[in-house]
Amino acid sequence: MPFREINAKMVEAHVQPGQRLFSQRGAMIAYKGDVRFTPNMQGGQGGLTSMIGRRVANEATPLMTVEGQGTVMFGHGGHHVEVIELDGDTLCVEADRLLAFDGTLEQGTLFLGSDGGVMGMVRGQVTGQGLFTTTLKGRGAVAVMAHGGIIQLPVTPDRPVHVDPQAYVAHHGDVRNKLSTALGWRDMVGRGSGEGFQLELSGNGAVFVQASEEKL
Amino acid sequence: MPQFRLHSAKVLAVSMSGDAVKAKNGSMVAYEGEMAFKKMSGGGEGLRGMVTRRLTGEQMTVMEVKGHGTCYFADRASDINLVQLTGETLHVEASNLLCTDSGLRTGTTFTGLRGASQGNGLFTTTVEGTGQAALMSDGPAVVLRVGPGMPLQVDPGAYIAHQGNLQQHFQSGVNFRTIMGEGSGESFQIRFEGDGLVYVQPSERNTVGGEV
Repeated sequence: MPFREINAKMVEAHVQPGQRLFSQRGAMIAYKGDVRFTPNMQGGQGGLTSMIGRRVANEATPLMTVEGQGTVMFGHGGHHVEVIELDGDTLCVEADRLLAFDGTLEQGTLFLGSDGGVMGMVRGQVTGQGLFTTTLKGRGAVAVMAHGGIIQLPVTPDRPVHVDPQAYVAHHGDVRNKLSTALGWRDMVGRGSGEGFQLELSGNGAVFVQASEEKL
Repeated sequence: MPQFRLHSAKVLAVSMSGDAVKAKNGSMVAYEGEMAFKKMSGGGEGLRGMVTRRLTGEQMTVMEVKGHGTCYFADRASDINLVQLTGETLHVEASNLLCTDSGLRTGTTFTGLRGASQGNGLFTTTVEGTGQAALMSDGPAVVLRVGPGMPLQVDPGAYIAHQGNLQQHFQSGVNFRTIMGEGSGESFQIRFEGDGLVYVQPSERNTVGGEV
């Protein structure tokens, strides 16, 4: 696997000829060897249509392509970095949380309305995710940023997990998510517990949660 | 009894089976099972708590979490420390308290001049009874033991909590240099004497004392 965690906030990646990596633009800290960084206008893969798609979806984080031979270290903003290994399944993550990922992974955007209809769109607004989210599919590794470290919670069919939308980072596997509300009369009169909205994740997979309620 | 454990240094996991805990408002990050969240006014101390907390400035917005399953708490990536209380009293700043067993009683006490130099006001929160509590610190906290004949001096900005039979005094090292604006930034300390434990964080809050 190309990524190795040096410490909680930095990862090291090995680049070999013929292999590509994508990373957030400006996230390189140091490198050894002959490595080239080219800004990626398309914001990843998929050609012009997907570029326009991501612009429209507001999931167009500036990315760069990393090619050559050597090792590169990545880190950004002092945020904790976690490497997530994908084995053929799909990871849903916000574009601005992506630090770096394998070039072999297939990148796409997911319309939240297609996963839960109107409630999915409401969910995107409540969680600050917008109406779209980024998906990565295939075999490879992804380095994801979070504030205060990540814990991984397994989701099994008999054990759904509820997550605070602000602490949600990513999920992978065959997981459905929906916004569940626990709004009562207390929230209406301003006496809420601050836990009025939750994401309910059910199915089979895992969800990643950060130890903070701050967005990046 | 709710079971407290640290899922990671910054995430607290509490397993509950029909019982309840009190936690800082909005600090839940995830849960499994069935949970209900209810805001408690005045730190869950009823009308009296509402009034005293408003007056003393030790306001804490607390929610009661009740249900079956595991609930995960975290707040702004703070490190978490578990404290087991067996009948003694824990003194802690309201802003450093994350979660307490619902069997513990919370209240406010007067701290004197120390509080003013810490920038936390003149009052502090007390937790007493038997059960577990979780404290938050900026960076991993160290627990320092104070014994008879071994007093401990602590920077007011780094102090988070203490427990046991301790007397605290406020001491200042203000001298000619301080007045000339050449102070070391360590002009005020809290001195603990007696027998107990003091929790100190590896970071300093902005305090009046730290400026001189």
